[in-house]
Amino acid sequence: MNGFRRFAAMAATYGFLGLMAFLSVFPFIWMVLGATNSSIDIIKGKLLPGAAFATNVGNFFTLVNVPLVFWNSAKIAILATVLTLAVSSLAGYGFEMFRSRRRERVYRAMLLTLMIPFAALMIPLFIMMGKAGLINTHLAVVLPSIGSAFVIFYFRQSTKAFPSELRDAAKVDGLKEWQIFLFIYVPVMRSTYAAAFVIVFMTAWNNYLWPLIVLQTNETKTITLVVSSLASAYYPDYGVVMVGTILATLPTLAVFFFMQRQFVQGMLGSVK
Amino acid sequence: MDIQARAYLPRIAGLALAGASFLGVTAAQAKEITIWCWDPNFNVAIMKEAGARYTKTHPDVTFNIVDFAKLDVEQKLQTGLSSGTADALPDIVLIEDYGAQKYLQSFPGAFAPLSGTVDYSGFAPYKVELMTLDGQVYGMPFDSGVTGLYYRKDYLEAAGFKPEDMQDLTWDRFIEIGKQVEEKTGKKMMGLDPNDAGLVRIIMQSAGQWYFDKEGKPNIANNAALKAALETIGKIMQANIYKPANGWSDWVGTFTSGDVATVVTGVWITGTVKAQPDQSGNWGVAPIPALSIDGATHASNLGGSSWYVLESSEEKAEAIDFLNEIYAKDIDFYQKILQDRGAVGSLLAARGGAAYEAADPFFGGEKVWQNFSDWLAKVPSVNYGIFTNEADLAVTAQLPAVTQGTPVDEVLQAIEAEVSAQIQ
Repeated sequence: MNGFRRFAAMAATYGFLGLMAFLSVFPFIWMVLGATNSSIDIIKGKLLPGAAFATNVGNFFTLVNVPLVFWNSAKIAILATVLTLAVSSLAGYGFEMFRSRRRERVYRAMLLTLMIPFAALMIPLFIMMGKAGLINTHLAVVLPSIGSAFVIFYFRQSTKAFPSELRDAAKVDGLKEWQIFLFIYVPVMRSTYAAAFVIVFMTAWNNYLWPLIVLQTNETKTITLVVSSLASAYYPDYGVVMVGTILATLPTLAVFFFMQRQFVQGMLGSVK
Repeated sequence: MDIQARAYLPRIAGLALAGASFLGVTAAQAKEITIWCWDPNFNVAIMKEAGARYTKTHPDVTFNIVDFAKLDVEQKLQTGLSSGTADALPDIVLIEDYGAQKYLQSFPGAFAPLSGTVDYSGFAPYKVELMTLDGQVYGMPFDSGVTGLYYRKDYLEAAGFKPEDMQDLTWDRFIEIGKQVEEKTGKKMMGLDPNDAGLVRIIMQSAGQWYFDKEGKPNIANNAALKAALETIGKIMQANIYKPANGWSDWVGTFTSGDVATVVTGVWITGTVKAQPDQSGNWGVAPIPALSIDGATHASNLGGSSWYVLESSEEKAEAIDFLNEIYAKDIDFYQKILQDRGAVGSLLAARGGAAYEAADPFFGGEKVWQNFSDWLAKVPSVNYGIFTNEADLAVTAQLPAVTQGTPVDEVLQAIEAEVSAQIQ
């Protein structure tokens, strides 16, 4: 009886997990199958692999300057990630390490900015970029993202687990604050950095609204903008759109799989 | 003196040379016209063709055609105009006709009036009307969504109807024919998506009315054409002569699969209809059915867009001249875009060209393009106003009530209330 109950519980668990896994994976499967079918077959809802993959890839590469578009996306994502990690981890470190009377007030004000939807900031930000002469530059895409309240919050929370004894010991040994940060803090917080890297890279790679507003020419466009433009034609070629979507997904997939272990560690709390 | 002259001469010569080369550079400096539009296979490709034609006669003008998704073009235009950052805007932008008045009225002075330059008498009047504000005409009319009744000759013949029987129908007669078609062939008369108000818009405009009157005030509760349009759709549903469709692709599937006998929509569907080679020779095109109320016609429109020049553009003069030379005068250009892209422009004189005069074997040798051009000139002018999209949503929300047999007057009241609430 007991065995049966355990079996039933297992079956229910696996059934539920299987269903959830199917729901998460199905769109990907459908995307991959779609890339092998013609647009008409996709509309008809065909769920079997087709023979149009080469045609779709060929069409995508003739319609889109793929190397340029990928270079644009990669440049923005990598630049944004490196700068965000540098600036926001410093801020998170600072918020936790240095005590002052106004610290919490500033910190809370910063967290409040998370509540402001981006659409409300868009026009002032756009005017700012216009005055700085940065419209249609990749710098204009990167700059607003590097002081990220969320990443600062994440680093501050993780820094709470950073043993202050380490810092004190380093101080006794005569390290300056920047040396402590660079040589003690950064290596210890490796997995926090890794997790933040995955999050920030994905956000930057998939970022859509702001690049759309600020980038003006075909030469500066990112892969997300190009796929969106393909998908909104009066008669979109869904096969080509699927090829574009797969290509746009690959880098984030690669980053995630490559850093999965560190990501999970970072999420669980990085300091051992 | 001699020494001084020798010292100065090279400098003066240098200055003169520099000046000359500076002037020379200015004279030969290429002007680049930036254009935003949205469909790589349609308006983007067509604008590239137009640009190539203009560059042939004006080698100093080049084109930078940027394609974004349609909603993205609107979003970028809105942001650029709201922020007042002029260098963030293109020289020419494509705007959907239903939204034209929204931009013209919300951003006065943002778009260049073309009334003095372009001869608008050559265009379909309804296209000119929708881009007119306070007596000034802005924009260059582009593609039209003039409507037609596409019908399957084979199915209708099996039900006992000849092509002559399909001309100049009323909607009541159309429903009557639909019942007989289903009786004799088992096919439904048309595909209908209950969440798409497109057919309502077609029928309403065919009788010269819109959600808004000439002053832009809501015209719903007492709108005879809208009332008749909703009644017509109610009758179609009651007679059950339609195949329900869920979304655009599904609706397209109703006729590409051969499940329905007719399609009532804009001329831009022609390419999709013709994409089924096995149906060649089986299709005909007639004027759409008319309502039985005052002002009813057999011509209407669904969709369409036009080009607008930004007032702040540095290349304004070139941009206007370009649009005028190609879109208002080049008949051959209109043949090319009809042949290559299936685009029906709004310039009435284009009908005289070879592509428009050609008989189409797919439609059994009918001169469909000439017919569409005839109907194009007859599309009633209405004021699309600022809130067409909002009104459309309200109509869509109330369509199920029509299906369930709620009195149409009550439905109209509900739509009017919803629209008034939205636009205040």
